[in-house]
Amino acid sequence: MDPKETVLVIGSGIAGMEASLMLSKAGKKVYLVEKLPLIGGNVIKTGESFPNMECSTCLVAPIQQEILQDKNIEVLTVSNVQSVGGEAGNFDVTILKKARYVNISACLGCGMCYPVCPVSQPNNWEQGLIEKKAIYVECAGSLPNVPVIDSKLCLRLNGTEECNLCTEACMFAAIDFSEQDELIEIKAGAIIAATGFDTIDATEIEQLGYGKYPGVFTAYELERLLASNGPTEGKLRLRDGETKPETAAIIHCTGRDLVGYCSNVCCSYAARHAHFMKEKLPEIKIYDIYTDLCLPDKHYQKLNTEIRKTKSTYIYQSEPDKLNIEEINGKLKINYLDNQGTTSGLEVDMVILTTAIKPASGMPEIADILGINLDKYGFLQTQEGSIGSICTNRSGIYAVGCAEGPKDIPSSVVQSSAAVAQVMNLLES
Amino acid sequence: MSDKIGIYVCECGPNIASKVDIERIVAEISALEDMKDIELVVKPYKLLCSVAGKAYLEEEIKANNLTHLVCAACSPRDHDSTFKEVCKKAGLNPYMYKIVNIREQCAWIISDKEEATDKAIQYIHSGIDRVLYQEPLIEKQLESNPDVLVIGGGIAGMESALNLAGKNRRVFLVERAEELGGKTVHFKKLLPRQGITASSIQNKISEVNKNPFIKVFTSTELDKIVGFLGNFEIILKNNQSGEETELLAGAVVLANGSKEADPLDFQGNEYTQDDEVYTALEIEKMYNETGKITLKNGEIPNSVALVHCIGRKEVGYCSKICCNYLVKIADYLKEQSEKTEITDLYDDICVPDKEDQEYYEKVMTQVESVRIINSRVEGNKLHYTEISGKESVLKPDMIILASALLPSEENVHFADILNIDQHESGFFLESHIKIKPVSTNTDGVFVVGSTRGACGISDAVLQAQAAAGNILTQLIPGQKIVPEVMVSEILEAYCTGCQTCLEVCVFGAIYFDEERGISVVNEAICRGCGTCVGSCPSGSIRTRHFTNPQIYQEVKEALRKC
Repeated sequence: MDPKETVLVIGSGIAGMEASLMLSKAGKKVYLVEKLPLIGGNVIKTGESFPNMECSTCLVAPIQQEILQDKNIEVLTVSNVQSVGGEAGNFDVTILKKARYVNISACLGCGMCYPVCPVSQPNNWEQGLIEKKAIYVECAGSLPNVPVIDSKLCLRLNGTEECNLCTEACMFAAIDFSEQDELIEIKAGAIIAATGFDTIDATEIEQLGYGKYPGVFTAYELERLLASNGPTEGKLRLRDGETKPETAAIIHCTGRDLVGYCSNVCCSYAARHAHFMKEKLPEIKIYDIYTDLCLPDKHYQKLNTEIRKTKSTYIYQSEPDKLNIEEINGKLKINYLDNQGTTSGLEVDMVILTTAIKPASGMPEIADILGINLDKYGFLQTQEGSIGSICTNRSGIYAVGCAEGPKDIPSSVVQSSAAVAQVMNLLES
Repeated sequence: MSDKIGIYVCECGPNIASKVDIERIVAEISALEDMKDIELVVKPYKLLCSVAGKAYLEEEIKANNLTHLVCAACSPRDHDSTFKEVCKKAGLNPYMYKIVNIREQCAWIISDKEEATDKAIQYIHSGIDRVLYQEPLIEKQLESNPDVLVIGGGIAGMESALNLAGKNRRVFLVERAEELGGKTVHFKKLLPRQGITASSIQNKISEVNKNPFIKVFTSTELDKIVGFLGNFEIILKNNQSGEETELLAGAVVLANGSKEADPLDFQGNEYTQDDEVYTALEIEKMYNETGKITLKNGEIPNSVALVHCIGRKEVGYCSKICCNYLVKIADYLKEQSEKTEITDLYDDICVPDKEDQEYYEKVMTQVESVRIINSRVEGNKLHYTEISGKESVLKPDMIILASALLPSEENVHFADILNIDQHESGFFLESHIKIKPVSTNTDGVFVVGSTRGACGISDAVLQAQAAAGNILTQLIPGQKIVPEVMVSEILEAYCTGCQTCLEVCVFGAIYFDEERGISVVNEAICRGCGTCVGSCPSGSIRTRHFTNPQIYQEVKEALRKC
């Protein structure tokens, strides 16, 4: 394949998917590399998206399907880029495609194999709220709808020969224990790094009681509780799986001082959280404890204003680092400094922490492999001294989406489309 | 050739076969042959989407000379396009085929096998009835022009032009002022974290002027435009000489910018030109022109109040850039004289880019910050309420106001002639808020920079590049474009010329033919949404592939037992 006609996209979140589709439409061959067994990135963890409260699956699933059916796009899941040699216009790329142990073209995604698997493990994609088997899909509606076998936990792959339960359950002979990790070498003219983000570990801020008090949740845990394909099938319940919270408080800017920047999206998704918590449990009383509201788009302030009118009571706290949470008689008590600077208390059943966005784990390794720089926060660094650039220090490699810094979906798509312009111009020259 | 319908029932392995009675389906559907007096080929197959299954289906279409095809299988989302491809390969028009979902809608959701089978039979029956009414549709190819019209010679417009212009693509850059550069030419420094000064704007201007593939029209405005993606006819008008220029282009990038609001329109502010009250843009211009920020008597102010969020509540949105540029102005003031006392009266701090907060914190250590909930300027005095509820008054030497960014007044005109929607704020509306952020509801027309919504220079530049990315991948020189075929058509005999359809069409795809007195659909623009069909009082519009008879037949059979 002519490297001038080939592009490598790393990361299959919304930014990576949009860039891949655009390039494919222009006739480019795209290798879309994703470390997880499913494509879609973080967007698919959210049940709905702000400001239109649109169903995220309905938004993203058609894009995912288009990606999977596009003949110009080769999707490599459970894969990592291993090395990048060469230069802009002619990169030599090695990709490690790990064995899935399930034949992707034979499997239909009927789901008969995982209930029979005897091994369980926490489902981190579901924020650890439920367990998954050693052969699993992360959630209902995963695309590609094909399970993967965890080679570290599968009994058979670890010498317990007699376990053959998934193979027996599969009517399409799709389970393939002979599959091997594979090294794929490709040529690519340009590379788009859209490797996404993680959120901070809320236990790092001890005074908030996350991990200690079961009523304290992170925003992504709440996302999964609100999602219809999540562990509770969209029912809003406390950790026991049964109790409906009567009161809840959303704490804004969790970890903002720790990371040193504003995460851009939390104020807006907090409004969405209040909206959907109220929709699930109309009797629930919701509070938002905030210091600054960051609503940087023409659509966002209106959403916030509406939510404040009807769904949530907004409470100003003057010093976020003074806020602490304790548990008293099974209730969570939030102590904070109010607008007079005096200590106030608020008792609730549930606390949601809008944990700050941070660089994805493994970012230093990716940057190292790509030969590009990280900024002081650990995000991918774009060219210094130029305005609005998505160019990295290595010509032909572009950084887009939350890999470059926290941002909302439209801004991620803007960056990925901007990278497509650079790629098209580079490959034409 | 008489009709011959092929009905292939996919077992989807055990997914369908174990939950519905395939044999009964085949038997009952085959029995329809006599009832309907049409020729049917009804066969089960274990997995139609497999490589073998697709080859089988292709062979069956050819061998049986099928005129219609029904696949009773899974959700169209999974394999509609798969079977359409098979039709094309086998020489059957793909609009003569229909997928019927007996997996998600029957097998997977009904536990009683007989009930699921009944429903599957009914669905397949309704699919047969529909497909009989379907008509072959032929895709057309249209020539397209790769050239681009860019409106607005500010930073966003220039960036788009530079990313688009090349040996196979010309760009026409239209600026209504006499010079390129837009607002940014008034800035002494861009935010320091961006590491550049105004000179880089000048460099960009000369880069544009030197580019042989960019034709710049200054003192010029867009007068008329008609057409669609790939084929726009444009008339430009020089706003001094009145001279007109006719052009053709395939796409349009609208980058006509925004304006700073007058603070006197908001919050009961009252002051005159004699008062020491300035907007941030006035300060930028002053600093750029004189290198200083001074009072009317030429002296450096000893005390300055910076006031955030002027008009934010009234306009209903955050202008995004004000917190950042006030930090920059505080920085200018401290650079000029460390003695200047600065009070920063803020509502919410919005510093959403990763490096903003650090810069804000660094500068603000030298500034007295006061959190307020409202403010009002009265002459040289500033009245405000602190977050605690305390009312206060400040009388600094100078008051600098961060006033909201407003959409340009020309937007109404552009919305009208380009047929694009405005947000209630007056900025332009993206075709999809989340995933099509620089596209509009007219294909081939893009909005970038602060005309899309208040934004800073980095965002404007990225959006400009994003529009270029869309155009570079959609309008490839020498490549034809294939418009949608499932579009509306107006039956001339029934059209009364009431023009209701023109009003409801959001894509501007319908025009009125004065001579014949009827509405006509431009098939290159129509997307087949069907809104006009529903609005037509005389029932003269139909959308191809979704005609009333097709839908009636399908629904009639699907509901027969209800």
